[in-house]
Amino acid sequence: MVAIQVDTLTKRYGEHVAVGGISFQVEQGEAFGILGPNGAGKTTTLEMIEGLRKPDSGQVHVLGRPVWPDPRSVQSLIGVQLQSTTLFDRLTSRELLELFARFYNRSDGAERAQLVLEQVGLVGKADAYADDMSGGQQQRLAIALALVHDPDVVFLDEPTTGLDPQARRNLWDVIRAIHADGGKTVVLTTHYLEEAETLCDRVAIMDESRVIALDTPAGLIASLGAEVRISYTEGGEERVAYAHDAQTAVLETLEAARQRGVQIEGLSVRGPSLEDVFLNLTGREFRE
Amino acid sequence: MTLSRIGATTLAQMKMMFRRRIVLFWSLVFPIILMALLGLLFGRSIDAGTITVIDASHTPASAAMVHALSTTKGVTVKTDQTDVAHARKQVQDGDRDALVVLTKTPSGATAAHLYYSNASATQAGIIRGIVSGASSRISVAATGANPAIVFSQQSVDSASLNYIDFLLPGILALAIMISAVIGLSTVLVTWRKQGVLRRLKLTPMPLWEFLVARVAASLTLALLQVAVLITFGALVFGVSISPTAWAAIPVALVGALCFLVMGFTVGSLVAEPETADAVTNVITNPMMFLSGTFYPVAAMPAFVQTIAKVLPLYYMTNALRDTIVRDRGLMYVMPDIGVLLLVTAVLAIVSLRTFRWE
Repeated sequence: MVAIQVDTLTKRYGEHVAVGGISFQVEQGEAFGILGPNGAGKTTTLEMIEGLRKPDSGQVHVLGRPVWPDPRSVQSLIGVQLQSTTLFDRLTSRELLELFARFYNRSDGAERAQLVLEQVGLVGKADAYADDMSGGQQQRLAIALALVHDPDVVFLDEPTTGLDPQARRNLWDVIRAIHADGGKTVVLTTHYLEEAETLCDRVAIMDESRVIALDTPAGLIASLGAEVRISYTEGGEERVAYAHDAQTAVLETLEAARQRGVQIEGLSVRGPSLEDVFLNLTGREFRE
Repeated sequence: MTLSRIGATTLAQMKMMFRRRIVLFWSLVFPIILMALLGLLFGRSIDAGTITVIDASHTPASAAMVHALSTTKGVTVKTDQTDVAHARKQVQDGDRDALVVLTKTPSGATAAHLYYSNASATQAGIIRGIVSGASSRISVAATGANPAIVFSQQSVDSASLNYIDFLLPGILALAIMISAVIGLSTVLVTWRKQGVLRRLKLTPMPLWEFLVARVAASLTLALLQVAVLITFGALVFGVSISPTAWAAIPVALVGALCFLVMGFTVGSLVAEPETADAVTNVITNPMMFLSGTFYPVAAMPAFVQTIAKVLPLYYMTNALRDTIVRDRGLMYVMPDIGVLLLVTAVLAIVSLRTFRWE
């Protein structure tokens, strides 16, 4: 069953093409990642699916319903955490959640608030004002607000941007739980390679307004056709090579260097990652 | 739309508003401080000081004028001088606050000349108001085509009111205006800038419901301001509240609505919260000084009076003063309410055309 169907979606701002005719599907129950550097068009894509930004052309369906021209038809099916929303000050987490449940005309706001507070691990901050909480706690609250009306599809726009590594890992656990225990379809954008690799069933890599690859993280890495990544510095210049067999490759590298009479430094061997996939596809380093 | 949703949203808006101490300070505490301060400064009544009156006319009209001034609250009248030049010097030196000279004109009418010092502009204005008020009362009382006393054409309102009585409705109007304008301008801009409006757009609740809830919360604040300031004024400052004061409730609600829509218009037009604050100040500060808040408009120069008549605060202040301390009922202030509603409608059209989500 398809949760989200995107067909040749396009958005332009004047001459600038923000999203250039992209298409993909997200299955129900899937954790789907849109990975790309800043300015790749991730957020614009997400906003067109959520109904916040009207596409110039193309179609979006969420759970079989067209999002455009009237996004209201999908509003109660989706939950959204925006990239930067400062929420109302002087309302506690619990009050905010109950208010948002009201917006969706739910009469079980109190129970829902308690439930999602537990889900995101924020019960201890239930009676704190949002502006008195840490960045990580505010992000959890934003996610809780996206979940309070029990939507089928949850959109998280760069949920861990700006968080310290510890807070980021804690939030990953929350997102995994929403997906695994809650059985919800999760769509998230990120510019952290590790985040996409660890959280997502499938990842669409976006660059310069297009989807340049789409597969499972393992599938994307396998598409490199290499088991190992060897990197070293030769004469101050970094070199990267991909190979099938670590032992052979390392020996060949060292032998070649010996024959040419050059010194190599910082030899490192590891399995390839999504970073290598991006480098291979674009010829550029991925900058987080 | 569901009423329970609007109700819950209104409640949340009230929490957001009343939990901010600064809001409570500016809307309730500050007006009381201001009233106490001005009340202390100018005394419980309008004290214009001591006026010298020289009656060189000796007509019934001039005698009536002297009597009218002598019985006016707030001024002390002295008739001990006969030399105009010396009496003028007394005013110049600050020994007396003003001089009124009554002379006979060739046509037989009486002319009143007022000399005052600009050293105290407020006092001078009040004296001007009192004297012109007295002369116009006598003019009206006299028969025939020729006015008995030639002075100024306008009547002055404050002469019969204690200053604190005069001040209370003015400060109430001012407080309601400031709370209402800020209550939607800066707040709307902040919500937009922080992405709150975008976040709301993702929910099934229409924005107008959210705004209606905000307006309802702000109107509640306005009612609270009416209740607190009138109670304080009556109990602490001894303001004599007219039995018609209940009519201040609809006046306050319509006035607050007008200034809320004004705030919404500002919020629709500007992008930054700081700009909203600045624009709000530019709008409210002149109104505060030109609308008869602290000081009767009738005693101001003619061009200021003309300006005042295009300011909505002037109408709200007038209507609140009429109902709270002048014993005038709702029907009497209907024209003022009409003007406020008209301004509201015009601003509503402008703001709905310029509103932006992002």
